[in-house]
Formats: sequence, C-alpha cells, structure tokens
Amino acid sequence: MTILADTVADVAITKKTDSNKSTVIETSGLCREFGKGDTLVKALSDANITIERGEFTAIIGPSGSGKSTLLQLIGGLDTPSSGDVFLDNKNISHMSGTELSDFRRDHIGFIFQAYNLIPVLSARENIEYIMLLQGISAPERKKRVDMLMHAVGLDGLGERRPTELSGGQQQRVAVARAMVSKPSIILADEPTANLDSKTGADLLDMMKDLNEKQNMTFVFSTHDPKIMERAKRIIRLVDGCVVDDERRD
Amino acid sequence: MMNNQTLLTITNKQNTHRNNTGLVSRLAKRSIFRNTRRTLLTVLLISCSLTAILFTDAFVRGMVNTMVKISTQTFLGEGQIHQKGFREANDIDLYIKDTPRLYQQLDTVSEIQAYAPRVLAGAMTSSSENVASAIIYGVDANKEASVSKLKLAMTQGDYLSGVDGEIILGEQLADLLEISLGDRLVVTVSEAHGGDLSQALFRVSGLFSFNERTMDIGMAFINLSQGQTLLNITGVHEIALRLQELNQADDKTLAFWTVLNTEQLETLSWQELVPQLSSMLAMTEYSTLIVSVIMYLLVCLGLINTMFMSIFERQTEFGILLAIGTRSKQLFYQIMLEGLFIGLLSVVLGLLLALVLCYWGSIVGIDYSELEMSGLTLNEPIYLVLDVSSFALMGLATLAITLISCIYPALHAARLQPSSAMRKTL
Repeated sequence: MTILADTVADVAITKKTDSNKSTVIETSGLCREFGKGDTLVKALSDANITIERGEFTAIIGPSGSGKSTLLQLIGGLDTPSSGDVFLDNKNISHMSGTELSDFRRDHIGFIFQAYNLIPVLSARENIEYIMLLQGISAPERKKRVDMLMHAVGLDGLGERRPTELSGGQQQRVAVARAMVSKPSIILADEPTANLDSKTGADLLDMMKDLNEKQNMTFVFSTHDPKIMERAKRIIRLVDGCVVDDERRD
Repeated sequence: MMNNQTLLTITNKQNTHRNNTGLVSRLAKRSIFRNTRRTLLTVLLISCSLTAILFTDAFVRGMVNTMVKISTQTFLGEGQIHQKGFREANDIDLYIKDTPRLYQQLDTVSEIQAYAPRVLAGAMTSSSENVASAIIYGVDANKEASVSKLKLAMTQGDYLSGVDGEIILGEQLADLLEISLGDRLVVTVSEAHGGDLSQALFRVSGLFSFNERTMDIGMAFINLSQGQTLLNITGVHEIALRLQELNQADDKTLAFWTVLNTEQLETLSWQELVPQLSSMLAMTEYSTLIVSVIMYLLVCLGLINTMFMSIFERQTEFGILLAIGTRSKQLFYQIMLEGLFIGLLSVVLGLLLALVLCYWGSIVGIDYSELEMSGLTLNEPIYLVLDVSSFALMGLATLAITLISCIYPALHAARLQPSSAMRKTL
C-alpha cells in the first residue's frame, strides 16, 4: 500500500499550508431538518465540529443517528437548515450551485458505499472523469490514471466496465477516482460495507497509508470496527447530536 | 502582452470546454444504448410517426391531384369560357356568337393546349318505354376528345362521328329509358329566341360511363351542328379549355385570363367553376396538419415518458455525477444530447421508411375505385406524391419536437440535488 501513497505523492495535493494542523473542516451550529409540522424530523442538531488537516476521523452511531446527513452537509451535497460549513476556510453553505460543483470537483473526494461508478464508462474513464471536468491535458490525465491504476492494483483492468469488475476492484477504482483530483478532503460513506473483510482491510490500509504519508484528511461514516480501530478520532452521533468526540493520538 | 499565467488560464479553459463537450457527448451516446430495447422502441415510435405524417402528406397531395385531375380532365376542363350571365341565369339565349374570331384567338394562346366548344340545354328524352330529363350537350366530336374523357368513357357502340341523328347516352340514363344501342330516342328542348319547343329523333349510337352517377344518368351528347340547329343558335354556350399545365389555372397573372375576360365573355378557372371542390381540397390539406399535431403530441408524450424513465433509473448515477463536480448545465446538455441522438436516429429511419412507402405508393397507387367524395367519384387510383420540401420540413420539425420534449426531463435532471438523487448512499 506504500505504492499508492508514493504515487499520490506525485499526484496528491501539494497545497502549501502554514501548518500541517490547519483547520480543514469546520461546522458551526449545523442543523438539518426534514418534513414540516407533525412530520418534522431533526436529522442533525447543532453540530459543531472542527477537523484538522491530516485527521483520520470516523463518524459513528446507530442507524438514523445523522452520520450520512453530516457527511452530506460537509460534502456540500445537501443544504443545511441552519448553520454553516467551512471547508478550507470557505463557507460552502452560501455558494451557488455552480460554485459548489466546482468546489466539490477541486477540493473533495467521495467514496461511496455502493462504489457508484458510472456504468457506461470504463475503469480508466471513471478515474479520468473529474480531470476532464478540470480541463487537465490528455498526457497529464494519462499519466495520473496509469499511476493510480497501478497503485490500486488494477493494472490491465482499465478498459473494463464496472460490471466486469468485482466489488473490491470497483471500490479501488472509486478510491482512485477520489484521489485523482488532488482533493484536500476525502469523505467516505461506509466504504467497506459491501466488501469482504480482507478486501475491506486492504482498502483501509491503503487509505491509512495515504493519510499518514500524504497528510490527507479522511472522514468516514461507518459501523465497521476495522475503521474504528484505525481512526485517530471518533465522533459519535446519537439522534442527530454529537454525544462524544474521542481523539486517539 | 499576455503573461504566462493568462495564457495558461486560457489554455485550461479551452481544454475544459473541449474535454467537457467530448465527455458529455460520450456519456450521452453510451447512455442511449444502455437500454437498447427501450431506445429502439422510442426510435420506432418517433420514426413511425414521422413516416405516418409523410405518408399522409403524400397521400393528401396525391388525392388532391387525382381529384383535380378527375374533375378537370373528365369533362370540366381547367377553364371554361361563357357568354357573361349564362352561368348565373342558365339562359340558352346567352351564347357566344362570334365564335370564329374567338377560335382564332384561342389558337394563338400558347397556354391553351386544346379547347372544346359546346352547346347545352335541359331536355326531355323519350324512348318508347320511358321518359327522362337530361342535359343535352352538342359537341365537336374531335375537339371534345382532346379536352374531355368522353371518347375514353365509351363502353358500348361508337363515339360521335359528326353525322346527324347520332346520340350517345350515359349507361344509367339508357337503363332508365330502357333502351340500348340502335334504339330510337326523341329529344325535346326549348329553342333559343322565344322558347318554342323543338324536337328531333336520334338513334343511340353509343353508351358511356364516367363512373359518376350524376353524369351517367343525366347527360347525353349529340353533334355540335345538330345541337345548334335544335336550339336554333349559331354560336356556342361553353368552350372548355385544356391548359398546358394544371397550375396555369391558378395563375391569374397570365395574359390570356385578361384577354379572354371581356365585356361579353367570362373565362373562369376550374377553382371558380366548382368552388365547393376547391374549398374541399383546401380543407383536405388541413388533414396533414391535424395528423401531424396528433402524431407530434404522441411523440412528445412518448419521449417525455421514455426520458423520465431513463432519468429515474439513473437518478443515483446523476447524483454521483453531480457529487463529483459535474455542473447542472452539463447534465442538462447530456440529456438534451441523448434526445438529439435519438431524434437523429428516428428522423433518418422515419425518412427512409417514408421514402420507401411513398415511392411504392407513387408507383402502384392506392385504389379507391367507386368511392365518392364531395360528388366526385374516384375512378382512378390515387398515386402518392413525394414532396422533397415536406420531407425536409417534417424531418426538421420531428428533430425540433424531439429536442423540445427533452427540455423538461433535462431540466428535471439538472435540478436534482445530489443528496436526494443518491438517496441511500452519501
């Protein structure tokens, strides 16, 4: 797994920061409500979280506790009912649709539970997609994709469509896709939920390696004990409220 | 001078635009063949609608042509000359007197291919068995043959030869009078200049059938000279005109229309002679419009349904695309492009189908024998008329309708919120 970390050393974010411990995610009074009147559901209440660059954080809690909602709000995939989300010191809660799209493209990598690759694109094209949106030149795209395909152990499988890959291989493609745009934050929603334990563990080792060597920030929403074991910080949610925030330095 | 940073920004923007166009196009092309059966069914729906519209258009054009041809070539002519007032009053005293000078004039008009002088009057025809009313026409046998289909409509006996005493009758009139070839018939008319009754004995020399009841039961033909004698006139009541081109009847800017409309003479085109047919044909042309509207409505609904099904199926995928940085407008363009590809496929297929079908119809024709429309019997097949401009126009209209139908689904996709589109996942 060191290969990936070394590879991403070329590809990864090389943003100059004053300190390795600068704040990368900050939420302030973050609330998300669904429905109205009698059917009102408070999915997240007054969440105030600060995550610093390079943290490997797991958000845990029972089903319906608001983990995914929090991750969606941090990733700019949903709009908060109240409160603000700051990523890299930018308030994304008030960005326009296009600004938010561009911000997600350039700053956030997503890894989803169900792999969620684009079925009509090959593995290579899935990884390349974000770079096409970014306007990166063809030689540079090829270089990065080749490196990442090699790093995630998918050499020779680039032309396969997602349906021709196993779950573990698909998730590796998803990880490569999340890395390729050089994001400052990677948000992963139960990335190992659909994988067997060995594949899941390998994947986690790969991400942990990236975190440690490249100081990449990872935020997981999970039930998986393996992630919790590896996490440097565990935020526990119950009924939409942050009830515990444990750091393991 | 532009510095390196500016140049880099411009290059990046150009790259982004080129990449995005290629990307959207690639996704759209592949997406429409993701569910091949549904795409093919949609393409078939649109192309069959286009084919139906073009077939209807070609059929209507063919029907109009056939009806005009039947109407004008059977007996009416593309135009007629009368003494002013004759048509309104149906007065046999109002006849064209200076015929030699008029014939001379008609011979010089290049647009007139042929003309046929006629005298006509309501008559009582009596056989030994029965009596019937009919319109008796006195015609110049040779000239009539070059304008109307009288000679071609002969079913029994001989056509007029110019000898006095000959009469040809419609088959149904002969049946009514219970006479056949060679039988004698007395025709009684009211003479011009006073209205005295005039009678003459004829022997049936031939029977005709135009396949049109009103003509076959109500018309009889004798030679022009005997008709003039019977009616006690020296001129003619009517001169039917056969023009070089059918559309010359519409073109009132042609000089002969002015020349032949004088203080004494009234020259009218077939549209003016039978305005009810002209109006009916104009209305018939609306049928293409009605069919088009219905078909395009079906196309719109079908396509909107298909695109929505496709979008709902791919909702999660769109959520992912939006989540990883695809702009809403790129999703909009992708759906529109999918619509464009479906539209292009449909138009090509629809035009090809229509071409084959209409070409076949233009060669073989569609037989509506004996069908009567607005008093006109369709006694010859309808040959479909292919019109290139219709093909081009309907093809473009179909493409436009397809794109318009895609706007709503495309807007729906573009307005998706990533979190709700992805539902269960992040």
